[in-house]
Amino acid sequence: MRACADCSLRVEGDWKRCPLCGGDLRGAVVPSPYPAVPLRYSRRRVLRVLVLCSLGVILLSFLAQLLFRRDAEDLGALRSVWLGIATTWLVVLMAVSKRRNLAKFIVYLVAAAAAVSVYWDYLTQWSGWSVTYVVPIVCAASIAGLLITVRVIRMELADYVVYSGLTVLLGLAPIVFLALGWVGTPIPSAICGALSIAVVTLLLALRGGAVRHELATRLHL
Amino acid sequence: MKRRHWVRLDNASNIFPAARSDVDPKVFRLGAELDHLVDPALLQEALEETFERFPLYHAVLRRGVFWYYLQDSDLRPQVVAETEQVCAPIYQPDRRTLLFRVVHHRRRVGLEVFHALSDGTGALWFLTDLLGAYARRRFAGEAPVVEEVHELAPDSFAHYFRRRQPVPASHEEDFTREATPAVLTVEEAAREEGPVGEGRARRPSGRRRRVHRLRGSRTPDHRTRALELSMPAADVLALAKAEGAAPTMYLTALFFEAIRRTDARVHARSTFAASVPVNLRQFFPSTSARNFFATIRVEHTYGRGDDSIGAVARGLQEAFSAEATEEALGRRLRRLIRVERFPPARIVPRPLKDLLLSAINYANNRSLTVAISNLGRVTLPSPAQDHVGRMLFLVSAVRPQFCAITHGGQLTLGFTSPFVETAHVREFARLLSGAGIEVSLAAARSTEEELAGVGA
Ligand SMILES: [Zn+2]
Repeated sequence: MRACADCSLRVEGDWKRCPLCGGDLRGAVVPSPYPAVPLRYSRRRVLRVLVLCSLGVILLSFLAQLLFRRDAEDLGALRSVWLGIATTWLVVLMAVSKRRNLAKFIVYLVAAAAAVSVYWDYLTQWSGWSVTYVVPIVCAASIAGLLITVRVIRMELADYVVYSGLTVLLGLAPIVFLALGWVGTPIPSAICGALSIAVVTLLLALRGGAVRHELATRLHL
Repeated sequence: MKRRHWVRLDNASNIFPAARSDVDPKVFRLGAELDHLVDPALLQEALEETFERFPLYHAVLRRGVFWYYLQDSDLRPQVVAETEQVCAPIYQPDRRTLLFRVVHHRRRVGLEVFHALSDGTGALWFLTDLLGAYARRRFAGEAPVVEEVHELAPDSFAHYFRRRQPVPASHEEDFTREATPAVLTVEEAAREEGPVGEGRARRPSGRRRRVHRLRGSRTPDHRTRALELSMPAADVLALAKAEGAAPTMYLTALFFEAIRRTDARVHARSTFAASVPVNLRQFFPSTSARNFFATIRVEHTYGRGDDSIGAVARGLQEAFSAEATEEALGRRLRRLIRVERFPPARIVPRPLKDLLLSAINYANNRSLTVAISNLGRVTLPSPAQDHVGRMLFLVSAVRPQFCAITHGGQLTLGFTSPFVETAHVREFARLLSGAGIEVSLAAARSTEEELAGVGA
């Protein structure tokens, strides 16, 4: 084994210099009890900074829209492109940060898409296209998407039951819009509402016990 | 459809996921050095056998609205060659993984555990069984193959409290029983026997002095800087005895002295404080392998009298002994239980609890110079005992600390720190070697400079 005369220590491993004082070592090299692990500069940290910066930029671009007059005709196309880019970027960010939990991602996606479209509608002189078409279609599509996902990737019930439940509950929102008379054409809302109710009923009938168990776990006081 | 068993994480353990960070992932490692190169296949078999006997270790950590909770899982552990840094993160939110790993490198076996799952004593039970199972396979015939694993005690710990049913009950029951927080199991036992002595907690009054804390430059990728010093245990014991102090406090005083000599920021009247965990199972019988310890804080202010290592050690020992009594610890335990039961504490949503707990953790850290942990002398079941040399114990750290463990006459001190500086360890080693103790050093390469040229 190697030895450091300055520290009067024996040093294990293939060190050229004493890890404590940097002095010369003498003696035979023995294998180190620790592997040399290459440095890993955390990708996670870089990612976190990127996400935070992006979120800031996205939030600012949404807010900036308020500065322009709502009826500015010449801004129409430009505004849509701008909002479109910001929204896409937001969806990408959510997909990256929630990639480990698909069910959670879907809830975030529905909530964000609905909020952005309503805001967008408001910015473009509120004609109700968001609550009439976009929100019901996004909700219905996400429920359908969820049903397919659960089948295809065989998620464990506990993993998806809470967030699937939330997705389905979001699907009930268009019924409220319908009742409040906010929608022009009732068909999309009606379809989405019916789908949600069907899925809720199905979920409770087939997996009622499991749903209760999972909720009891998550909400345990 | 499977309904998973789950158990809420107790308050004491909630601090670990809350205070986890890049620098300190709240992971600790217990290891053993064998007298031959580890056979990964046999180790895997041994791991599977041990895993069956420790339902708690099947748990994954999940996040609820109000609490973290441990949930039973179907995951199986796999031994891996060591390719990550010492005490690399284990728990990552949204990624469901077991809360421990078993690594091997050359002659060494390491068990790394996320601290929310278990404490050092609980993990030592697991490692002891693992080494026992491995050695029985590797050295079949050398010793009678009997289930004596459970009779032999690792150290003087209250191993006897670990009630293991001879006939395995259902896994679900086992999981729930083992995963129940130790505090609650003790409380139940105490309720049958009556209160464990009453009395108001007596807090040392007066303003706390500013405690000296170490600074340094962080390791490049925030890995734990790990250095270990091995030495004959008897020599250290003799040295401590000559000074009239217990070994843990003697080493703590030595640690203070090493820092005092090497840190330029120390002034003549600096106060040094250390936190020392005490295994509560020694006082309150518990079968739980969960976290069950209390930390005792001891301090010394220099420049007010005898500052020799022996005197400091005796002073620390006095303060420690006053706190490490059944009565004092019982008060702490009851306070813990009260907080656990305190209704407002329950309805605080978990993310907010996380913030509170990490603030508490931060405040605690501010009043500490170092942390010390001693697992004591370990005895392994028979074939393993003869083929295991040194054992080691390392904890990820937000501040410099050392962990001690003794096996086969060898005392190993695992120094960990978030900083690259090693001056305090150098001084510590020189103090020991100056006293005639033969010290050997093993280190994990941590800096760019140290890693350069390796494998070239
Ligand atoms: Zn040296």
